[in-house]
Amino acid sequence: MNGNIYHNRKAQWAIYLAAFAALALLPIFFDSPFTLNLLARYCVFALLAVSVSLVWGYAGILSLGQAIAFGLAAYGMAMTMQMQYQDPVSDPIPSFMLTNELKTLPLVWAPFWSTPIGLILTFGVPTVFFIGFGILMFQARVAGVFVAIMTLAMTAAWYSMAYDMQPFTAGFNGISPPLPFQIFGTEVDPYSAGAYWVCVAFLAVLTLGAKFLMQTKFGLIVQAIRDDAERARFLGYNVAYYQVVVFALSGFLAASAGFCWVLIVQYVSPTSLEIVFSISIVIWAAVGGRTSLLGAIIGAFLVNGMQSFVGDELQQVWMLILGAIFIGVVLFLPRGLAGFFELVLGLFSGRREPQKSDWSTRRTSAVTKESAE
Amino acid sequence: MSVNDFWTPFSLLPFLNALIIGISLISIWLIAALGLTIIYGTMGVINMAHGEFIMLGAYSTYVLQTLIGIPFLLCLPLSFLILAAIGWVIERGVIRTLYRRPLDTLLATWGLSLILVQGVRLIFGGEPKYVGVPSWLNFQIEADFIHLSGLRLFIIVMAIVMVAVTWFLLYRTTLGICVRAVMQDKEMAASFGIDANRIYSLTFCYGAGLAGVAGSMFGALKTLFPDMGGGYIVEAFLVVVIGGVTLAGSVLSASLLGELNSIFSYFTNDTFARFILFTLVVVFLRIRPQGLLAEKMTRR
Repeated sequence: MNGNIYHNRKAQWAIYLAAFAALALLPIFFDSPFTLNLLARYCVFALLAVSVSLVWGYAGILSLGQAIAFGLAAYGMAMTMQMQYQDPVSDPIPSFMLTNELKTLPLVWAPFWSTPIGLILTFGVPTVFFIGFGILMFQARVAGVFVAIMTLAMTAAWYSMAYDMQPFTAGFNGISPPLPFQIFGTEVDPYSAGAYWVCVAFLAVLTLGAKFLMQTKFGLIVQAIRDDAERARFLGYNVAYYQVVVFALSGFLAASAGFCWVLIVQYVSPTSLEIVFSISIVIWAAVGGRTSLLGAIIGAFLVNGMQSFVGDELQQVWMLILGAIFIGVVLFLPRGLAGFFELVLGLFSGRREPQKSDWSTRRTSAVTKESAE
Repeated sequence: MSVNDFWTPFSLLPFLNALIIGISLISIWLIAALGLTIIYGTMGVINMAHGEFIMLGAYSTYVLQTLIGIPFLLCLPLSFLILAAIGWVIERGVIRTLYRRPLDTLLATWGLSLILVQGVRLIFGGEPKYVGVPSWLNFQIEADFIHLSGLRLFIIVMAIVMVAVTWFLLYRTTLGICVRAVMQDKEMAASFGIDANRIYSLTFCYGAGLAGVAGSMFGALKTLFPDMGGGYIVEAFLVVVIGGVTLAGSVLSASLLGELNSIFSYFTNDTFARFILFTLVVVFLRIRPQGLLAEKMTRR
């Protein structure tokens, strides 16, 4: 079947697997701890961009609230790591609480004594919140711009919470657990290849899982809802259900990113819940191509890579450049770099993809056939 | 840590004062949201750079005041004109191509806000600047339960004036009829001979100008720094969305939100009040997604 190789599924999977293999092999070429940590951060950002691509590119829901899941999970992980450091007998209360005149450990923190429970909460709380929030929004058939505004407001609300509840969250100073994460008796060094591979593993497994899901019937319905929710509704699908599930999945992806983030950075602060951060994630996905998960990954790597290498002198101008890139992408390249790539591959594939739908092409040729006879 | 540390006990006079502060907050949010109501109501354009328009209004007042020495009261209409001009350029350049794509306008205007913030930072530097309050506003009303500065009173008055002027323009002039026609149905209005594109441009300029006036006054209220716009954008959007994207709706929702925020702040504190308020907003939008006083049943 002649057609754009971009749409060939086998080719797509091959590229995805090759990309992740390449990512996994990077430590062979870059073994400085600083570079590995930097690359691991990029992987975290890439995972966030994938979560946006999933919920926006595939489900058509512009969520400006990925930072909520990211931040909640990051705080959960930081709390887990902090309590790993604290000793129940000699040193039960984190130092920032003592400076805030908190004499006993708050109830919210108590479950984090146990690392497994802490991890469950880290991944679970954001996902459950997204399920609840999603049900609230999509049952009411809130769509499009209103979803964006509501997620924006929610992000602002959570940021205020984290910033203000100083005794519980250490406010704007943030929580910095003194020790790296301990699991199964070993310590995970944030600057090691091991931590990097954890991040790559999360990125690869979750991205490939999401891609697989989007190629199932469930994924097709989600994309149908993106294209026309009313039509999907008339066809009998429970649109709210699909939207909530995808929204919650994207929350889970963002939460995983939050987990990895604190694993490699060993610090969390309210900046992880900032609106600016949440919208930046959308920018990365938009630049790379929101309808393509790999595109989102590339977009995240590209934009953050540029940001790191632009240097101090240009740092001032960087935001200008980023804003201009973003406007340019929205105006001229709405499907991002992946869309551009698709266009270019289309030129090489010989026969063009039909511009009209199959139905109209067949009808037109049937009509011309009739009139010719 | 007990619940009492969060909860301030009720006493009449400070509570009444909180209510009065609430009125000041209402006026601020209403003025900030007014331009956005017009722009979103008419064109369906989500202008994420609206906060930056406010910021630009503040900075242009700063420039007019310190470099040219123009009195405060005159700065207001001048920043209206300056921001209207900037709005015209932006509408022509960026917004015009994105009318049928509301989500993309949201993103493009966000990119614009990044450029505006960084541009201002490069030109003026990141340190806070100050707009001087004119001497005739430099008084305080100190009564039993009212502690209000002259500037805040001025803003309350200006809010009423601006809403009245906007109402007059929309409902008592021919231009207003054209704008309302375009708001209801762009194609039909065009078929009646109304130049819809020109109306869009004028509306965007008017909305931007209103933001400029807002900024001039807010600049005097607080210090100026490049990302001050961010503090207004979320509240402004909530006012517009809860109000149902109409002028009366915005007035009502600003009143409700401002007063509720003040009441919650009295009992707890500012940031926790914000959290409660935003959660209530989300719940409200679930119950009544079209807002308080929406004209049409369809949501954009």
